[in-house]
Amino acid sequence: MRDSKRGVERRPMEKQGEEKRREKTSSYFDYNLLFLIIFLVCFGLVMLYSSSSYIAANSALFNYDGAYYLKKQLRNIAIGAVGMIALIFIDYRFWRKLSVLAYLGSFALCIAVFFIGSDSHGSTRWIDLGPISFQPSEIAKIGIILFLAMTLEKVAKNLKSGWNLIKVLLLVAPVIAAVAVSNLSTAVILAGIAVCMLFVASPKYWHFFFVGGAGVLFVALFIAFAGYRMGRIEAWLNPEAAGDGAYQTLQGLYAIGSGGLFGKGLGESLQKLGNVPESQNDMIFTIICEELGLFGAVSVILLFLLLIWRMMIIANNAKDLYGSLIVVGVMSHVAIQVILNIAVVTNSIPNTGVILPFISYGGTSFIFLLCEMGLVLSVSRGIKLEAIK
Amino acid sequence: MVKKEVNKRKKPIFKFSKAMRMKLMVLFTCITLLFCALIGRLMYINYTSGEKYKEKVLSMQSYDSVTIPYQRGDILDSNGTVLATSVAVYNVIMDCSVMNATTKVDGENVKKYVEPTLEALLECFPDLDEQTLRGYLKNKPDSKYIILKKKLSYDEIQPFINMQEAVDEDGNKLNPNIRGVWFEKEFQRYYPFDSLASSVIGFVSSGNVGTVGLENYYNSTLNGINGREYGYLNSDSDFEKTVIAPTHGSTLVTTIDANIQSIVEKKIKEFNDTYRDNYTEGDGSANTAVIILDPNTGAVLAMAQKTVFDLNNPRDLTGIMTEEEKAEATNEQILAELNKVWRNYCISETFEPGSVQKPFTIAGGLETGKLNINMTFECDGHEEIGGHKISCVNTRGHGIETLEKTLMDSCNDSIMQMTYLLGIDTFSKYQGIFNFGQKTGIDLPGEANTAGLIYTAENMTKVDMATNAFGQNYNATMIQMASAFASVINGGYYYQPYLVEKVLDADGKTISKTEPTLLKQTISNSTSGILKKYLYNTVTSGTAKHVKVDGYSMGGKTGTAEKLPRGNEKYLVSYAGFAPYDNPQLLIYCIVDEPNSEEQDHSYYAQNICREILKEVLPYMNIYQDEELTGINNNLGITGTDPFYTKAEENTPQE
Repeated sequence: MRDSKRGVERRPMEKQGEEKRREKTSSYFDYNLLFLIIFLVCFGLVMLYSSSSYIAANSALFNYDGAYYLKKQLRNIAIGAVGMIALIFIDYRFWRKLSVLAYLGSFALCIAVFFIGSDSHGSTRWIDLGPISFQPSEIAKIGIILFLAMTLEKVAKNLKSGWNLIKVLLLVAPVIAAVAVSNLSTAVILAGIAVCMLFVASPKYWHFFFVGGAGVLFVALFIAFAGYRMGRIEAWLNPEAAGDGAYQTLQGLYAIGSGGLFGKGLGESLQKLGNVPESQNDMIFTIICEELGLFGAVSVILLFLLLIWRMMIIANNAKDLYGSLIVVGVMSHVAIQVILNIAVVTNSIPNTGVILPFISYGGTSFIFLLCEMGLVLSVSRGIKLEAIK
Repeated sequence: MVKKEVNKRKKPIFKFSKAMRMKLMVLFTCITLLFCALIGRLMYINYTSGEKYKEKVLSMQSYDSVTIPYQRGDILDSNGTVLATSVAVYNVIMDCSVMNATTKVDGENVKKYVEPTLEALLECFPDLDEQTLRGYLKNKPDSKYIILKKKLSYDEIQPFINMQEAVDEDGNKLNPNIRGVWFEKEFQRYYPFDSLASSVIGFVSSGNVGTVGLENYYNSTLNGINGREYGYLNSDSDFEKTVIAPTHGSTLVTTIDANIQSIVEKKIKEFNDTYRDNYTEGDGSANTAVIILDPNTGAVLAMAQKTVFDLNNPRDLTGIMTEEEKAEATNEQILAELNKVWRNYCISETFEPGSVQKPFTIAGGLETGKLNINMTFECDGHEEIGGHKISCVNTRGHGIETLEKTLMDSCNDSIMQMTYLLGIDTFSKYQGIFNFGQKTGIDLPGEANTAGLIYTAENMTKVDMATNAFGQNYNATMIQMASAFASVINGGYYYQPYLVEKVLDADGKTISKTEPTLLKQTISNSTSGILKKYLYNTVTSGTAKHVKVDGYSMGGKTGTAEKLPRGNEKYLVSYAGFAPYDNPQLLIYCIVDEPNSEEQDHSYYAQNICREILKEVLPYMNIYQDEELTGINNNLGITGTDPFYTKAEENTPQE
């Protein structure tokens, strides 16, 4: 399998016919990626339990149940795993036909959230449907990936023109705008996914300096106009002097700094005992740093890098452009979230609520992340191993 | 093959081009670089601020400790009867954040705990106001600690707990939505007998600060050490959670006998009620106080006074100050009033003891050989010393007086003449031997210091000595008098009076036991024997006849001290006595300060009280009658009057 990339690359088109009989028997599946996913999810569960059990066990809100978050996360993983397995066995090309529908559907949901959404942490981001509630913005991620993959596949030949690039961007702009109203960080992620996919699909480089510049300008303007984020900017620039606004950031930094090289040991965090707010959520990476130290933190980052590398391999070898672009989208999604999350907790950028994929506590986000992984694995199944002799 | 090519043409399969791979590689490189930058950032934070943040984290640890209250030790009487104890009480605490928590029911976010919990609260604690509670929930939605009610007994909170815990047959909770109310345990001091021995026991302020009495003197013994539930950092800076159980306070077993104490208090009250508004408007006396000691150990069996207060409500001034007065009074004035109420007369108040002093004077004389039992003195009704003419109680004179007769008649003239024989040095030395001017060291706070209230050999004049000899012109406390008197009748052993005989730990094991402390030998055994006989005759046929309890051999001495300023007809009358004669088991000392009567100068106010007390206490103490019943004093009550009571008897010479 290690040679698969090279082998697939060098597959001579002419020999396709000869190899055809092997197609059925030697189909590829990226177990590396699957095991990385499983490992990350399990590691995430351990860290989630470590970071949340004290708070949960000491609060009447959670019925003094230390495993409160763990149980809910297990439930979400179970749902997500079903979705992932289903998506592995469904040929991803099936979604091509539904891409437009997925896009429109997620757009509709993002609009709907303004009218029937419910509040949490000051922003309206949730839709409640009886027993389940979900964040449409999470669905929008997968919708945008599928839609852009389909669109870019169609216009790949014409992307040399900057105008076409803009046209594609304009296609996804409504969803991003709709999400940005209530959830800037997710909008940034959506925009990032779109830009990354465009970047890979387009033959040009210099266009993207403009796109990147425009993106930065957009975010800066948004920050300037959205008042509640101003406090976060101050907290970012000088957390120790910013008072309450920087409390979370500062406590996170304390946790990171106090871990040392090898950390205090699993379960030994002091900051999770009520000091780091949302320690099972956005801030879980700080607890990893505190308990497992720099060593553990770098290991986690390398695991994510490995995951992204595997996805790059799959994208490079996918049967068709559609599959490749789906994988590129998912890969960008994971990479952007990891970067944003770690950048936030290290106070490299202003505080914004981005969770760490596979590890943070999450409902909708976790389920759809696993579904995206199902898509990627499905694409990997499409890779043929003709060249391996 | 052909079919496939047709398909291909129809619907071309776009592949990931080389350029795209290149760009994906660029993207991956960018991601890798960013990851590296973040790793760098992590290292930077650790390198530059690691130590600082480590300290920050440690310094922020509040160790989240929860105090587990200790139970203050009990105070028991000598029979184990509980005089003071600490009972668990509960504060009702509302946790708004829990009550306001939302849960999803049929897709709706509802606060399902609010209504059931409020309903249960209002049902179990009817005096809570619903609007106030809703106000808390609305205005302080995140507050975790609102005290709704304080110091409820377990019985009072039980209905709520029952409601909360109620289960059906399957073990399912009937009221699962009662949430956000909990009960904080603490201990409250409780005195089962309310006012019994109030000044002796004392009370507790703010949970564990003993105020007056034993509660104050033994405060640290009674207090324990709070337990804690807390987290701490061990040597490896690991966080560990530990529960340290509280150390409960030690229990005091006192020498007080609740039964004797209540008999005494009952009689004092009876006396005061009887004499209330008798001559002038007001109480039956300015004060009445009684001490009963075991003369062989110094153990205080009872210590009582007229002024009592409810230990369970020690700051209540009802009957002393009206609400209006209280509203106008300053805190200092109120505190002064309270201190008056709380004051333990028996140890804190000094007074001129009067003729109860006479046995001490004679004992000193006999002990030094300056007096002997064969001496006689002639009483002509008064004595002139240094230009002062000091009268005897019988101004016509008692005639020839022996030592014994002197005590029996309580003759001042003879005593004054004796002091000439004693001399100032001997007299003042014996005042010191009997411990006047020094504290007894009884285990109670606030014992008066009388050092400045007596004469010493250096500043004593003949007049001072002569008047001191019959108990005027110097001050003593009741506990001093009782302790000194005990040594006169017990063979000369001066025991330090004490109240606590044992200290028990929380499990009831004895930590320490008080052995009677023999401070000194005041007089010899034989002198003691002589005085006992004199005192016995004083009761049998002298001034103390009124105190006699039929059937019991008793000895004692009366006292009628004229208060300052002289000539105001204000007296403090007293009686100190013992029973039985052969082997004294108890010593009683009673004073009545300014009895509410036209004529205050009769010691039988004190004698009546003592007799009435002893009538009940002697049988209670299993002291058997050791004399023929003569019917003497049988018809006397607390006022001393009976059908046979005649004016003639009233004229029985007092001192």
